[in-house]
Amino acid sequence: MLGYTCKRILTGIFSLFVLITVTFFLVRLIPGSPFQQGGVSDQVVEAIEQEYGLHDPVFIQYISYIVNLLHGDLGISYQDPATRVTDIIARAWPVTASVGITALAVSVFLGTGAGIVKAVSRRRCVKEMISAAGMLSAGIPSFAAAILLLLVFSVKLKWLPASGLLSPAHYILPVTALSLYPSAMIARLTANALDGELKKEYVLFARAKGMGKWRTVLTHALKNAYLPVLNYVGPSSAALLTGSFVIESIFTIPGLGREFVGSITNRDYTLILGLTIFMGAVVIFVNLLTDLLCAWLDPQTRRAYREEKM
Amino acid sequence: MKKRLTAVFITLALFCTLGISGCVTADPAANEEGRGITVAISSDTGTMDPAGSIALTYLAYSVSALDELLTYDESGEIEYRAAESYEVNDDSTVWTFHLREDALWSDGSPVTSADFLNTITRALDPASGSGYANYLFPIENAEAIYNGEADMSMLGVETPDDNTLVFHLSEPCVYFLDLLRLPVYTPSCSKYADSVDSGWDKDPDTSLANGPFRLAEYVPDQYFVLEKNEYYWNAEAIKLDTITYRFFDDTQSMANAYEAGEVDVATSLSSTVMEAYEGTEDLFVTDQIATRYIYMNLNVKPLDDVRVREAINLAIDREELCKIVGNDTEPTYNLVAKYMKDKSTGEYFVDEAEQPFEENIQRAQELLAQAGYPDGEGFPELTYNYPTLEMDSDTAQVIQEQLKENLNITINLEAQELQANYSTRYAGDFDLCRMNWTADFADPYTYLSMLLSNSTYNCSGINDPEYDAIVEKSNSEADPEKRSSLLHQAEQIAVGEQFYIIPLYAMKSVNLVDPDITGIRQIPASGALEYRYADISE
Repeated sequence: MLGYTCKRILTGIFSLFVLITVTFFLVRLIPGSPFQQGGVSDQVVEAIEQEYGLHDPVFIQYISYIVNLLHGDLGISYQDPATRVTDIIARAWPVTASVGITALAVSVFLGTGAGIVKAVSRRRCVKEMISAAGMLSAGIPSFAAAILLLLVFSVKLKWLPASGLLSPAHYILPVTALSLYPSAMIARLTANALDGELKKEYVLFARAKGMGKWRTVLTHALKNAYLPVLNYVGPSSAALLTGSFVIESIFTIPGLGREFVGSITNRDYTLILGLTIFMGAVVIFVNLLTDLLCAWLDPQTRRAYREEKM
Repeated sequence: MKKRLTAVFITLALFCTLGISGCVTADPAANEEGRGITVAISSDTGTMDPAGSIALTYLAYSVSALDELLTYDESGEIEYRAAESYEVNDDSTVWTFHLREDALWSDGSPVTSADFLNTITRALDPASGSGYANYLFPIENAEAIYNGEADMSMLGVETPDDNTLVFHLSEPCVYFLDLLRLPVYTPSCSKYADSVDSGWDKDPDTSLANGPFRLAEYVPDQYFVLEKNEYYWNAEAIKLDTITYRFFDDTQSMANAYEAGEVDVATSLSSTVMEAYEGTEDLFVTDQIATRYIYMNLNVKPLDDVRVREAINLAIDREELCKIVGNDTEPTYNLVAKYMKDKSTGEYFVDEAEQPFEENIQRAQELLAQAGYPDGEGFPELTYNYPTLEMDSDTAQVIQEQLKENLNITINLEAQELQANYSTRYAGDFDLCRMNWTADFADPYTYLSMLLSNSTYNCSGINDPEYDAIVEKSNSEADPEKRSSLLHQAEQIAVGEQFYIIPLYAMKSVNLVDPDITGIRQIPASGALEYRYADISE
């Protein structure tokens, strides 16, 4: 298990290095300059670029970037030289993560709950209703849902705030918009897997021995059915943790996604790279964590690792 | 297994509670005491240092917090701010300003001439990233200092005492007073404002203001709060206690926030808002001091032929174009912004002269035939580069259609991301390229100087000694009437004789303002809104 973990971490670091290199050169290939805002004179842009070392050969710039990176220095933002890229990440990520984790928690609770009910219930209308709700949630893109929610609950009814993250109430609409799709997916995965489990003999046996319906489902069947769900939750939580630009933009949430798009528009090279590295690291880390969690939850996989080692 | 799952769930739930409580910042409107307004502005970019790389954030801040030496009011009269008087020598090369003796920074210390010099010297270092540094170049040796060819001690700015500021210019510059509203001529307190990367500008303790409001709080990416500066020399005239600026990513979110009552003012919205709010008291439409036009590359055949340039100009139906693009646009036939005033007469500059040309399809076809392309035969396909903004995309399609129908010539459309379009334009790597220019200062020179042979904004290869001579002559012409006539003459050459550009339209700003707010003014130079004398009824 330890060997496997180390191997995964090393591949992660290598992927990150490739990501940094590719991004570094691609960003410099995009036409435009961090200091050109439309009205600025060409002469002035040239002088500032020279000052910031942007006229040095790209490879030299790359080497110096990597050297600084190894010292933990992601550089300053070209848009505001008083702000370090690390400060921006430290400021924006907690915001994105708080919305993302809340959405994840909501999706897991709602999705699992709906999935169980759908699998266990014998009433056709309940099953149909959950299916329909699931299809609707998975079918509406999150940005459309976000705009719809905003128009109904903020603009027309004025029940909920429309912009910012200034109070817990501000979380309701963005979290709802973000969790619609994952909830539907989790519900479907849970229902399908549980449906299969419930037909197995051990369930019948437990029921025959007089164990209650819900107890059988929750203590025995669910744990076996939950692995595919975890495999879905892992990568989708990486997406939630790195921020959705569209949702952040619609609800004016000062998170990572918004910073990322802003940095590309402004050609803020250091910020683009810093955010790419950070998001890449989050995705790699969350995927690793998912795999380890699956192993921890599933004795079979754990045994497989042990045997692999022997 | 059950326990493990429960543990995962509980951890998630804990994280999310912690997350929410950690990321909720105080509502800026909740701690407002007294009279306050909340204004929606575009996202947080750039510094708040007048010598640094500035964008919308600075512009919003400075309008309420910083006093320039002097400015012009809506009727074109001088309004003294940090200065109380000025003198100029006969050939407009030495400008002496006497600063107001009762002017104080927001910590109570006096505003001195050294504070003005502080911004200028810092902006002349390219490392500070000031995009306005070139507006200091009229000052003696400023350009050489910026290029590292001269020493700062040679700069043509003198501060004989705390209240006197003298500018020595290398050439006569009659519009010098108009430049004074630009950030590089605005003071920054020498006590704290030492460099662009020390962060003094966004820290309320060190970001001092000499205007009616001072920075009270700055929350990056979310909002900043200005509160009334009790040390302001004209504090009695100021009614509001706070102005809160909230950052938004797009205009639709701003309009939603206005509709939801979260902001009192939302500016520069899309033209659809104009229709939605038609006839309500909230709608506040203002004229932008800007012109949208197309550069024709004179190095590309057949655009080097004036007959072809004239034909294209005459074949575009601007009325129809504006009808399609949106009712926040108005046709224009000039380079100088339609709503820029001539201060000597108080009239709009472009209304003082005859329209440079009239659209005429038949004449356009004749001209094209004379140039050797009867009915567009043999005319090469040209490419039009424009940014992917909705307005520009619509414009491109209408022009493509009109030129095909009226002249039978083919224009290929190439939409580019905004920054990429700037690069294309500056590199001169285009046939036709979209351009938009918002006035930096309230003088037609801001437009006409762009087409000078040596201007860095001239990216279409214009090289016209006659035009250059007239524009340069206007710089030293102290008689406003004679100067005005020189400027009109220059514009007629550029737009009505040589047809160097294709003027398209002037734009309106669509704003939503709470009808309870009074006293919002429009800055004559840029058309932006100013809230320093605003008030809100309870």
